[in-house]
Amino acid sequence: MTEAKTASGLSIETSGVALRLQRVRRAFDDLVVISDLTLNVDAGEFLAILGPSGCGKSTLLRIIAGLVTPDGGTLNITPTDTKFQTAYVFQDAHLLPWRTVLENAALPLELMGVERAERIARANDTLAEVGLSEAKSRYPAQLSGGMRMRVSLARALVTQPRLLLLDEPFAALDEITRFRLDVRLRDLWIERGMTVIFVTHSITEAAFLADRAIVLTRKGGGVKLDRRLDLPRIRNNELRVSPQLAHEMQALLAAMEEEG
Amino acid sequence: MWKTLQKAVPAAIPFLIVTLAMEWLVRAGWIKAFLVPPPSAVFETMVRDWRELFAALARTSSAALIGFALSALGGIAIAVFLSSSRAIQQAFYPYAVFFQTVPIIAIAPLLVIWFGYGMRTVVASAFIVSIFPVIANTLTGLLSTDPALRDLFRLYGASPSATLWKLRFPAALPQILTGLRIAGGLAVIGAIVGEFIGGQGLGSVVDVARTQQRTDKVFAAVLLASLLGLALFGFINILSHVALRRWHASEQN
Amino acid sequence: MNLPRRTFLKILPAAGLLAACGKSSKIRLALNWKPDPEFGGFYGADYAKHGLDVEILPGGSGTPTVQMIGAGSAEFGIIQADELLLARAQGNDVVALFAAFQSSPLAIMAHASRRLESIGDVLKSGTLAIESGLPYARLLKKKFGFDHVKVVPSPGGDLSAFLNDQNFAQQCFVTDEPLQAKHKGVDVKVFPVSDIGYNPYTTVMATSGDLLRKNPDMVKNMVAAVREGWREYLDNPSSANEKMHAINPSMEAASYAEIAGAQKVLIEANPLGKMTTERWDTLAAELKELGDIPQAPPADQCFRDL
Repeated sequence: MTEAKTASGLSIETSGVALRLQRVRRAFDDLVVISDLTLNVDAGEFLAILGPSGCGKSTLLRIIAGLVTPDGGTLNITPTDTKFQTAYVFQDAHLLPWRTVLENAALPLELMGVERAERIARANDTLAEVGLSEAKSRYPAQLSGGMRMRVSLARALVTQPRLLLLDEPFAALDEITRFRLDVRLRDLWIERGMTVIFVTHSITEAAFLADRAIVLTRKGGGVKLDRRLDLPRIRNNELRVSPQLAHEMQALLAAMEEEG
Repeated sequence: MWKTLQKAVPAAIPFLIVTLAMEWLVRAGWIKAFLVPPPSAVFETMVRDWRELFAALARTSSAALIGFALSALGGIAIAVFLSSSRAIQQAFYPYAVFFQTVPIIAIAPLLVIWFGYGMRTVVASAFIVSIFPVIANTLTGLLSTDPALRDLFRLYGASPSATLWKLRFPAALPQILTGLRIAGGLAVIGAIVGEFIGGQGLGSVVDVARTQQRTDKVFAAVLLASLLGLALFGFINILSHVALRRWHASEQN
Repeated sequence: MNLPRRTFLKILPAAGLLAACGKSSKIRLALNWKPDPEFGGFYGADYAKHGLDVEILPGGSGTPTVQMIGAGSAEFGIIQADELLLARAQGNDVVALFAAFQSSPLAIMAHASRRLESIGDVLKSGTLAIESGLPYARLLKKKFGFDHVKVVPSPGGDLSAFLNDQNFAQQCFVTDEPLQAKHKGVDVKVFPVSDIGYNPYTTVMATSGDLLRKNPDMVKNMVAAVREGWREYLDNPSSANEKMHAINPSMEAASYAEIAGAQKVLIEANPLGKMTTERWDTLAAELKELGDIPQAPPADQCFRDL
């Protein structure tokens, strides 16, 4: 169990879940997207999933989230009561445009039946964590892309998830915003201790964010490369130009290039 | 107030030009007055027969508004029902299309037999003529929900009714309002047609004046009917502005 | 696309429209109802014999024949005499040429089971469907008042409301709806409007003053052809009935024959279609009194004896 304190001083406990995927298979009509995947993820791990287009990384994430059922194989998550403590961040923020930032952040709790006072308090907390307290009464149409993504993150965190899944969340943002959010995400992970699975096509991002990176094969056959990254726990932008990062990136790059 | 008037000016100019042109064309003899009355005659008739015309306008307005309200509520309800499953859609949507294709003139005598001569037939006519756009547009809106948001709602275990009221319905609002805009004008037309058959209101004024060959009165009544349609349209626009101004592209700028 | 060509293409459809509205080689006779024995003589006429190429345009509920004549979309049209007076008051120069019905077949019909005795009785209860814009409607209101009867629009040829409700009475032509109702199993009592002293010429062929001035010979030939056609129809209605039945099969062939016989008494005159100054003056005075026209025009403006 990891203990942490939110911006308002609220004490929270999160701990990551462990996942075990065995021989998972999924096809859509005739196209086999994942043919035979076996993967173990430890509790509290920050895992990056890399791969070329069509390798099934988004589908894999949706299977883990429970949005798609595999055609074959098994998925085990321990402990088992994690259904509501899985959070998902999409590539676009996908906010409800007719609600304020605060209401959007509180949405998961609302759907789970949490009382208004509590969910507003918790939403305020997560908005503070992503640095958006000032914008809480605004509407999504009035926000920049980066701010909308922060709201999406705040929304994901409001249920104190034990598993956080992100599908190329920062791909549509400009570089500086991306860098900032990378750092923020890593910090939030350290604070809370949840398991994070981060799908990306950016080798730099994968190397910067994760403890462990896997590269999937082109045809969804399986894992081409599974590498533990030898990098410090606390990461900042200085790391981006360091030889250590370059070294890790080279290994990932080589695997990616082989997969085309 | 002044700003609203300013917005009305571009629309008013073509109207003024056409009115003046018509007046000149008729007075100069290019168009025969008994076919198309000069605007001045129409205006005169409006003033002279205002009691009769405004009583008729009140009747037609009530019927059109009630018919419109029924088709708005009924249309939305039917669309919600149709959107609940593919099977239900395939089974029942073709019958909804019937509302669009049935020629109201042909079934009007039936309406009279069922509802009698009077308000109920007129309301029924307005309802039948105006409901389909509400159904079609609402259904499209409900079926076009962002799949990622649907996934999000699923992820947090939202019930189908929570998904309907918190996600699908608000997301469909722009489309619903489009449907209502179209339905408003149709409700007025439906009411007038119903009045041809069922009597009273502006439709009756048109019918009787036509027999009397009083084209000036026909035009006066038609003008009032158009204004009624315009008012309804404007009302929906206000509704749309209030509902969407914070978040939909159509109301921003 | 250069400017002249674009302008030309814009004008083309407008020019086509104008051409269509203008001269046509055919002479058009516009009817104000679907073909039925009421128009028998017009269908029976031998127009070719008089050097005329005539096209008869069937009408229906609400066909604006009097406006069509004024607008030039038909050379001749069938109207009622009171309609003509209303039209002239609006500046529409229509002139009557031939009055097929000397006596108006306009009537009110009610279910026989109500045992009513006169038009006044009909207005004492139930529902009455009439075209309230017509002058006779105003006459009825003046004479009897509408306080005890519910007045609704005329159903325009559809008898379902009448058949469905015993207390429903409606406007009709004695030659048409009563027989149809009888065939559908409902016995009716018919009250001619002429009973209350309102008897305009009916099924009148008229033309525009313009055409009369420009082409008096053609108009004369038309009247002659029509007069012969009516004579033929009164003596031998079958071939014209066949023609009409083919166009309007909604009435059975047997009904055509029945009605053709029943209506003879309203039509017979010497010569057929004749009109008199007295009757036009009477009608004009009636309409003036009802307030339908501001003044009574001289009869010689309203009709022409050709």
